[in-house]
Amino acid sequence: MIAIEQLRYVRLGTRDLAASVNFARQVLGLELVRQTDRMAHLRSDHRDPSLTYTTDAHGHALALELRDVESLDAAEKVLTEAGYAVERGTAEQCAERKVTAFIAIDDQCGPQIELVVRPLTSGWRYFPSRDAGVTGLAAVVLRSSRPEADLRLWTKLLDGTISDRVGDAAYIGFDEVHHRVAVHPAEQSGLLAVEFAVESVDQLMQNWYFLGNSQVKIAHGPGRRPTSGQLFVTFYGPDDVLYSFVAEGSRIADRRAHRSRQFAKAPLSFCCWGSESQVVEFG
Amino acid sequence: MINLQSVSYVRLGTQDMERSEMFATRYLGLELAERTRRAIYFKSDQREHTLCYFDGDPTDQAAAFEVGTAEDLAAAAAELERCGHDVHLGTAAEAESRKVRDFIAFDDPSGNRIELVVGPAHSGRRYHGTRDAGVTGFSHIGLCSTDVARDEAFWTRICNARVSDRIGDAPLLRINEVHHSIAMFASDRPGIQHINHQVESSDDIMRSWRFLQERQVPIVFGPGRHPSSSAKFLYFEGPDGMVFEFSSGVRLIADELLYRERQLAAEAKGFCQWGAKPDIAEFRDK
Repeated sequence: MIAIEQLRYVRLGTRDLAASVNFARQVLGLELVRQTDRMAHLRSDHRDPSLTYTTDAHGHALALELRDVESLDAAEKVLTEAGYAVERGTAEQCAERKVTAFIAIDDQCGPQIELVVRPLTSGWRYFPSRDAGVTGLAAVVLRSSRPEADLRLWTKLLDGTISDRVGDAAYIGFDEVHHRVAVHPAEQSGLLAVEFAVESVDQLMQNWYFLGNSQVKIAHGPGRRPTSGQLFVTFYGPDDVLYSFVAEGSRIADRRAHRSRQFAKAPLSFCCWGSESQVVEFG
Repeated sequence: MINLQSVSYVRLGTQDMERSEMFATRYLGLELAERTRRAIYFKSDQREHTLCYFDGDPTDQAAAFEVGTAEDLAAAAAELERCGHDVHLGTAAEAESRKVRDFIAFDDPSGNRIELVVGPAHSGRRYHGTRDAGVTGFSHIGLCSTDVARDEAFWTRICNARVSDRIGDAPLLRINEVHHSIAMFASDRPGIQHINHQVESSDDIMRSWRFLQERQVPIVFGPGRHPSSSAKFLYFEGPDGMVFEFSSGVRLIADELLYRERQLAAEAKGFCQWGAKPDIAEFRDK
């Protein structure tokens, strides 16, 4: 199995680069690292970048870090044999992504999955654009029109394990955090939300009041997920992408020993405080 | 000095017993302890009752504090008389209707009716809520004061309260380790300003927020977090305009020697560190 080190970055295609950068800085509090007329790199932690915007409208992607180039070569072989269309990144593409090498898996009509090696880490601490209390990129939420096939990729080829399920949706993790990727069955595959961890319940609730005062539309929450125990508030950003602030959340020390639970597909399985959402996938 | 040990119960007159009972049980989640011809008693913890609605005028209210012994009660009566407060010695029938062994009643300097009680009844049966609100017990009251400086002096010099923090001139007073049992706010008239019950966790605060909103109970402040007590809170309006509070995580002050009270701003930020704005008269910016 392909061992994942960590979730590394999310890339979002946008119709309006300036508006997206503005949103990321003023609402999310991310730090802008570099910008051209085609892309912008932002940080939420030591990863440089952790969030990228690109004018390439079909540019949604998420990146997972692998240990070394040997692992990358082995992964390329495994995925190709499993029937995935795998492309090795060119030197120019690597430079754009601030990685040393990568392969892109482009077979599953959702966001592109990039497996990267030696991605850039900033030697300087993250300096937020506003005091949202962000501690880092936490997770990505995906829609999938072929959940079974996608889960096979995440758990049989990549070394993710399912932490819990709600209906046919699955929460997948690679480290001690409950999940890094959530996959929700939907009519069309795509990227549903990008989630950033904040320091504590205080920052989460301060952010909720801030969002309200800033006329940012809330999609779900504030609430607590009974699956991960995370506090969350999910809201609308540009280009119909959702963003969440999350806090707390359970740790899974031994993923091999962990037994996933099945929750019913109902609003209370997505929020045990009772919040409801217009977003179909959340209840 | 009058040694208050803890806050004991609140008595509220009401013209609508039915609505008061419905609110106390279905919304506050309190347990019906006893119903008599003219009063209904509610449990929130191990005590026999902590809230009593009686057939009367909503402005007819009393807040009770427990003192140690019969001797303490007699000494308190003498002290209050000496300071110019008329003291009513509770009759046996009145004591029984308050579920206490004995009590005295007086008006504080603002005119709030205060009862000092000995031997408030504890129940053999633990509290079992009418709904799963996570209530752990009646914890404190807000009190209206027509002169906070004068009244702070009363509670801290005649009685044994200490100031834990102030929000503007409003003192939050403790009589035991709990950050405050009395929160005193300036008003043009006396009265119980709010009634607080503790709940187990902030999840319970947030669940109640959703629950009460769905039933059109006016949420007047929160959800939020007090910078003073560090408790997460929710304030909502009940029958006769009484404000109730759920809170969780009140800090304890054990070190009486080294603890120093802080001065918080008399504005929304001094009441809530999350950003909530109060819709409560006594909390609004003056």
